[in-house]
Amino acid sequence: MAPASGPSKSELLKGTLDMLILQTLTLQPQHGYAIAQHIERLSEDVLSIEQGSLYPALERLQKKGWVTSKWGESPTGRKARYYTISASGRKQLGKEISSFDRVLVAIQAVMKRA
Amino acid sequence: MSLLDGLRHQLRALTSSRSYARELDEEMHFHLSLDAMQREHAARGTLSSADARFAAHRRFGNLTSLTEETRAMAGLSFLDGIAQDARFALRTFRRSPTFTAVAVLTLAIGIGANTAIFSAVNAMLLRPLPFPHPERLMKVSLTVPPRLGDPARTDMVWSYPKFTALRDAQHLFSDLALYTDDQSTIGSAGDVERVQTETAGARYLTTLGIVPSLGRNFLPDEDLHPDAPRVAMLADELWQRRFNADPQVLGKTIDIDAKPFTIVGVLPPTFRGLSGRAELWTNLMSHPAEEMNEAWSHSFTLVARLAPNVTIAQAKIEVPRLGVIVDRAYPHPEIHNEHWGAMTQELDNTRIDPVVRKSLLVLLAAVGLVLLIACANVANLFLVRASGRRREIAVRLAVGAGRGRLVRQLLTESVLLSLFGGICGMAVAWWGVRLLDAFDPGNALRVQHLSGIGAVTFSDIHLDGTALAFAASLAIVTGIVFGLIPALQSTHSSFAGALKEEAGTGDGSKRILTSRNILATIEIALAVVLLAGSGLMLRSLDKLLRVRPGFDSGNTLTMRFNTPEGYGHDSLPGFFDEVLDRAASLPGATGSALIDCPPLNGRCNGTAIVFRDQPPPTPGTEPDVGIHWVTPSWMSVMHVPLVRGRNFTRDDRSGVQKVVLVNETAARKFWPGQDPIGRPVSVGQGGFWKDTAYVVGVVGDVRFGSLDSAATPDVYISYYQSPRGRMMLLLRSAGDAGALGAPARQIVREMLPSSPVYEMRTMQERVADAMRYARFSTIILALFGLVALGLATMGTYGVVSFGVAQRTREIGIRVALGASRSELLRMIVRQGLALAIVGGAIGLVAALAATRVLRSLLYEVVPTDPFTFAVILAVLVLAVLVASWIPARRAATIHPSEALREG
Repeated sequence: MAPASGPSKSELLKGTLDMLILQTLTLQPQHGYAIAQHIERLSEDVLSIEQGSLYPALERLQKKGWVTSKWGESPTGRKARYYTISASGRKQLGKEISSFDRVLVAIQAVMKRA
Repeated sequence: MSLLDGLRHQLRALTSSRSYARELDEEMHFHLSLDAMQREHAARGTLSSADARFAAHRRFGNLTSLTEETRAMAGLSFLDGIAQDARFALRTFRRSPTFTAVAVLTLAIGIGANTAIFSAVNAMLLRPLPFPHPERLMKVSLTVPPRLGDPARTDMVWSYPKFTALRDAQHLFSDLALYTDDQSTIGSAGDVERVQTETAGARYLTTLGIVPSLGRNFLPDEDLHPDAPRVAMLADELWQRRFNADPQVLGKTIDIDAKPFTIVGVLPPTFRGLSGRAELWTNLMSHPAEEMNEAWSHSFTLVARLAPNVTIAQAKIEVPRLGVIVDRAYPHPEIHNEHWGAMTQELDNTRIDPVVRKSLLVLLAAVGLVLLIACANVANLFLVRASGRRREIAVRLAVGAGRGRLVRQLLTESVLLSLFGGICGMAVAWWGVRLLDAFDPGNALRVQHLSGIGAVTFSDIHLDGTALAFAASLAIVTGIVFGLIPALQSTHSSFAGALKEEAGTGDGSKRILTSRNILATIEIALAVVLLAGSGLMLRSLDKLLRVRPGFDSGNTLTMRFNTPEGYGHDSLPGFFDEVLDRAASLPGATGSALIDCPPLNGRCNGTAIVFRDQPPPTPGTEPDVGIHWVTPSWMSVMHVPLVRGRNFTRDDRSGVQKVVLVNETAARKFWPGQDPIGRPVSVGQGGFWKDTAYVVGVVGDVRFGSLDSAATPDVYISYYQSPRGRMMLLLRSAGDAGALGAPARQIVREMLPSSPVYEMRTMQERVADAMRYARFSTIILALFGLVALGLATMGTYGVVSFGVAQRTREIGIRVALGASRSELLRMIVRQGLALAIVGGAIGLVAALAATRVLRSLLYEVVPTDPFTFAVILAVLVLAVLVASWIPARRAATIHPSEALREG
């Protein structure tokens, strides 16, 4: 029985993963494994996720048109799918970062008061 | 363009789902192998490659569920689900082959019968007429106001002068033309045949939008005045058959009714004229002026094409105004205050007689009911099965399957089942269409003059794309209809209850039992409606079969042939005497006679009658009578009884006192309580209008119209007193009348080498033809009624035997406590009877409302006929008793210990 509903990650985390992927892709087009490695390195394993959950997220981003993909050759000579952030993806990233900042500021304010 | 990118992405995933899956798989394995490599490398030999792969997998997560999640994201899970459901459904079907077979068969009958009837409705009522822009074609008719005893008519045909009056005054139509259909003898001595013809104006083809495939249409010159050059066009079939498709046929001469016509064109293969069966077209204006210029000789149908800027509504308003113009040009010569008019209607509306239209719609409704019953039956089967699967479904609900998901699964099963039913139904439909064709209702319609415009015929009925699409959508809708109830029902009960259920006495089973009862009740009610309809039709057919047409149809042969050229009043009797003598002396023949128009012909000649011993009536208000020419031998050949007076003799000939015979209806109507013998009358035909003829005898009524219309007042003229050419030869035989056909044909061939014999049929065939359409629709309706009864019986049986199975333990206890077998039988049969009573009562009310539409199709049976209703209720109760008796007997023989152990 295929679970029709989404994964059991919280919405916040899902949004965060999208944001991290988009952020990673601003540097250069990359394949899935490289994206995973990059996120892991940057977050120093704090935001540890199942690496595989990257792929549903990539599918979601492609469906929204924020990311496009193309098959190409990896440095080792193997075929790999390379993901590229689109213009609308960059716009979305900007929006998400600013809203994330606002949430962060709000959380910090609450935590300080406590 | 992000939206577009996204859409393109999703579209690709959906349209090439296989390569999508492969690529995703490839991508994930690329990821895993890269990670494993990386780990192995980082560990510098402390990690085996297998361990590295394992670690990579762990880091990656559940490959399968992530793949599924990604596919779900791409919108592919829905398709996956359908395929999965379908596979699951197929597995369950294999596990229960009996259930599957019964359900598929039931649905096949329902869907197949519906498709067959739909094909008929499509061909006869829906499919556009086979001409360009058929919706712009109109039929224009003359209207006649009501007269004493005669209703108003709105379908009067035209005379040529009246047509010209309309044509010259109108601006509504871009094209309009007269036509009429007839039969003609073509060819010359030794090579003659009888063909269907149409006589038409030059604008006939342009009105219909038909262009000759070879040669040309009639020219304006050939359409202008009577006595125009004689020209003809051939149907493709006649051209192939008689002229070997020779293109040099143009310009050749063909003899039509012994007059030479020049062939100017050949028409496209599919075109057979508005009569639907013409093989030859002659120009209207080839007729002589004295025939064409008679304003009160109405014999042509007027077909017209609307001008581009004119709407149908406008035409319907304007044509009556044109009718006034025609009436002013040609006022009634005798009745000065009688004004004829004109009206128009869509040609499409005249395509079929209203009676046929109605009976087709009745059949469609009936077959729809059959399908509903079939649905109820299969839904019931599903419910039985669902109760067996209750635990399975409960378990699946318990482990977290959504209710929607389960409903979808069950619906997939039912739709799949009905698709199978639809496929098998195509075989039923194919057979059904052939059955329709075998009845040859088209010919029957023609015989009874019900055919409307012949371009629409039953031979057009076939299973085409439209019918296939109809069947497919029917199958899907059917699947949802009968699947939804059980699906909702069986997923409704709380799983805890179902899991706890052991003896099948829980809440869920009761509810299922109730909806099963409701379904069975509906089935019975619907079956009652169908049975009532078919019962009434059967009773009507029975009455029709019992109609005494007034003559003995056994062992009688009828045939027509042309009379020789140049024979007139003086020489015709001699010629026919020889034919009659030779025919009567054939071995096996016991008598021969002539009559101008055979019984049950649909219509025969009619005219006015006046009574010379009474003051003359206002001209035009004289009563109508049927008029028939006969030889003295006709009474003995057709076995028509002489009631009073005398028969004609050979001496009632030209030059002596004119005499007539009348039938009993005429005697009753015109001389009630008096003796008609010796009364002086004049009739408007056969040269009997100016002279006075005396009634010499009264004969029994003969139905010349149809079986279901009572005899009209008829007057007979002695053939020898008013000889004429077109007569029908009647031959009575001591044995098989058909055996006289060949020798009789031989006599005609010897005497008249250039005249073909046609309309050779036994009188029994004519009687059968007259009943063919009634028989056709009745048998089909009865068939549906029978199927409905069978299905409803099956449904009842299912409910009762299911109830018995559910109550096995209870029954066992009852037996153990000393209940007698007969008590048990009664208890269970009562359950079935309750269904029959409730369903029967509902059905009775519905049937009384529904059968009213049959009124115009019934002969001497009222739609509420108590006899019919009593019989069908008795049949129903009997069927239900049998259906519940079988499981009841089974229950009554249950051994208590067995029952208790089983429970």
